[in-house]
Amino acid sequence: MSERNLVLADPVPDQHPASGAGRPRRRTVFWRYWPQYLAISPFYLLFAVFGLFPVLFSLYLSLHRWSGLGDREFVGLHQYRFLIKDHTFYLSLWNTVVIWLMSTVPMLSMALVIAALLHSVTRAKSFYRMAYFIPNVTSVVAMAILFKMLFSSHFGLINAILQAVHLPTYPWTNTPWGIKITIASLMTWQWVGYNAIIYLAGLQTIPGHLYEAAKVDGAGPIRTFFSITVPLLRPVILFTVVISTITGLQSFTEAQVLTGSNAATAPNSGGPGQGGLTMVLYFFQQAFSYNDYGYGAAMAWAIFLIVGVFTLINWRLVARAED
Amino acid sequence: MELSRRRLVQLGLLGMAGASVGGLTAACGDSASGGSDSSLSLWIWGGGLSKAVLDDAVKKFTKPALKTQEIGGDFKAKLLTTMTGGRGVPDITGVKGEDIASFYPQAKQFTDLNSLGADKLKSQYLDWKWAQATAPDGTQMGIPIDIGPTALFYREDVFAQAGLPTDPAELAAAASTYDDYYQLGVQLKAKLPDHYLVKDLGTIFGMVTGAGTEFYVDKDDKFIGDQDHIRAAWDTAIKALTLGIDAKITDGNDTNAGMTNGTLPAQLGAAWAGLDIANGAPDSAGKWKVAANPGGPANIGGSFLTIPKSSKNAEQAFEVITWILSPENEARGFGDAALFPATPASYTMAELTKPDPFFGGQKTIEVFGPQAEKIPVAFTSPYDGAVSAAYYEELGNVETKGKDPEDAWNDAVSKAKSVAERLGVSV
Repeated sequence: MSERNLVLADPVPDQHPASGAGRPRRRTVFWRYWPQYLAISPFYLLFAVFGLFPVLFSLYLSLHRWSGLGDREFVGLHQYRFLIKDHTFYLSLWNTVVIWLMSTVPMLSMALVIAALLHSVTRAKSFYRMAYFIPNVTSVVAMAILFKMLFSSHFGLINAILQAVHLPTYPWTNTPWGIKITIASLMTWQWVGYNAIIYLAGLQTIPGHLYEAAKVDGAGPIRTFFSITVPLLRPVILFTVVISTITGLQSFTEAQVLTGSNAATAPNSGGPGQGGLTMVLYFFQQAFSYNDYGYGAAMAWAIFLIVGVFTLINWRLVARAED
Repeated sequence: MELSRRRLVQLGLLGMAGASVGGLTAACGDSASGGSDSSLSLWIWGGGLSKAVLDDAVKKFTKPALKTQEIGGDFKAKLLTTMTGGRGVPDITGVKGEDIASFYPQAKQFTDLNSLGADKLKSQYLDWKWAQATAPDGTQMGIPIDIGPTALFYREDVFAQAGLPTDPAELAAAASTYDDYYQLGVQLKAKLPDHYLVKDLGTIFGMVTGAGTEFYVDKDDKFIGDQDHIRAAWDTAIKALTLGIDAKITDGNDTNAGMTNGTLPAQLGAAWAGLDIANGAPDSAGKWKVAANPGGPANIGGSFLTIPKSSKNAEQAFEVITWILSPENEARGFGDAALFPATPASYTMAELTKPDPFFGGQKTIEVFGPQAEKIPVAFTSPYDGAVSAAYYEELGNVETKGKDPEDAWNDAVSKAKSVAERLGVSV
């Protein structure tokens, strides 16, 4: 939808640059361009119904106590007051940040290396690119189930391999840290190829003569990588870091399926020791398992704020390094 | 990209056409799913009712025509949103046992089935299950589809190897309390190392609290989660850990592996858990048996059929419900969907009395029947689900992080209290 909107919206200002004018003039501008406004209206109408309204409604809901049925009881800032004292929410924030770090750092470093490798590949280019991209288009739920089996304590492949090389096995899915590692590796596996393809696109814009010059100056491949590739890729890296932050902090499906808690008692509570309880999973539990929509809405806003702050910090860090 | 004005208009019109088509299909979907006078719609989740009984019901009830819809995904969320939206609400809908209490405050949204004559049918169903669908304001919200009476499932061969009682009656007598049961667990682990009688602490806690008559919040919306009955269940669970007979397994794959290779030779659970064992450990078929569980029977799960208030055909809907949930049809539900009947009259019918090959030819009804009838009438509060989570989470912390049980109890109570307070329960 947004793509179509971009295409349609673009030509309007270009063709007829709007001249600064008073109120009556603006009316005629509207009438002159009504077909264009009409053409772009579907996106805005759909956005208003499915985007803007839910956002505003969740703000309204966060000031109420509501089970999803019947009357909403106005409680003011009660939900937010509870939220800032809620240990479980801080635990979920901690879990989310740990899982995000454990997935994003290896994911992006591996993606960069893979992109450099893909860039130098001469034969079967498309095959390798597709092969690395496939994890990104497979169903998360199906992969989560598969990872659950891989990491299963007694009959999982990972533990079987550890045993084969005489290393101690670990109950991955039954401990708080194990479950975090399992979730992080699933996220890494799924997004590494996607980021590699984006880096690859960035690599292809770096002019070849820079590499030649480096070679002439006597720089080896590793020196070239850190002195030419990485600095010139900075804008692309910034993009992937911001996107990974936004998706990583909102991780949900992986945790929900891996901790597999559709039990009637304490559903969606995040697995062993609540180690897999991410912020969005906790929000989902409160809103949809316990039908506490008011608290759920308050938490959704807190998550929004946290993601915003993290993105800002990220932006600052990576952008400063660029100067 | 260059776009002519004409092309833009064309695209705009196309977009509008698309939007209106979307609107039309939405409207069609709406009229098809209930709320109309010409048909009766019924919502149920996959496996929630016997397919054969439903097919017969569709043939039998034609005026108005009965239309059944299997709703996938999160059933309760879909029901809630539809009821809040107020359009396309089904004439008849299933409500799961664990959800029924959360509808108590909104009992007015359901037809009081007593006003249609349900009180005359009450005696056919188990008291305690019927009471679950009676809201505190007296509204009879639903009629029971099935129940989940608990029992102890065990591997006869492993028990024999360890020298434990293998006959269901003897075992039930030898493990009538959790203390006795734990003694068997200690004996099992001494004979066969790495064999555990307890899967995880949450299971024990759920079984013990479930056998009670009230849980975390009482009828007057007062918090009682810090009282003796919950504390006793907590201590019982912790004791399994201190005795070293807890396998600490919460993961389904590991559970299945343990049941198959015999290291987890016992499961405490409701009647329907037998199906999970059969699916999870098919290689162990024929080696399992069922006995009455320690500490008295509890109920886990079991659902209802209800008639939302918005139904225009409540009387016909009631006729359909009472037919689908007659003792004969509930017995058929046991045969083809493993739904354990809520009607004691079914327990002597052929579908229930035949031997079960998975349980070595045992007639499991001889255990489940008496268990079902002994379950006490209990009060579940709409807030119990959310308030109880803290206890399970803290038990998990003791089990997987080695947290001190006393600290964990204090944290569980204070967490549960604050959740209760947020929900408007007095603490």
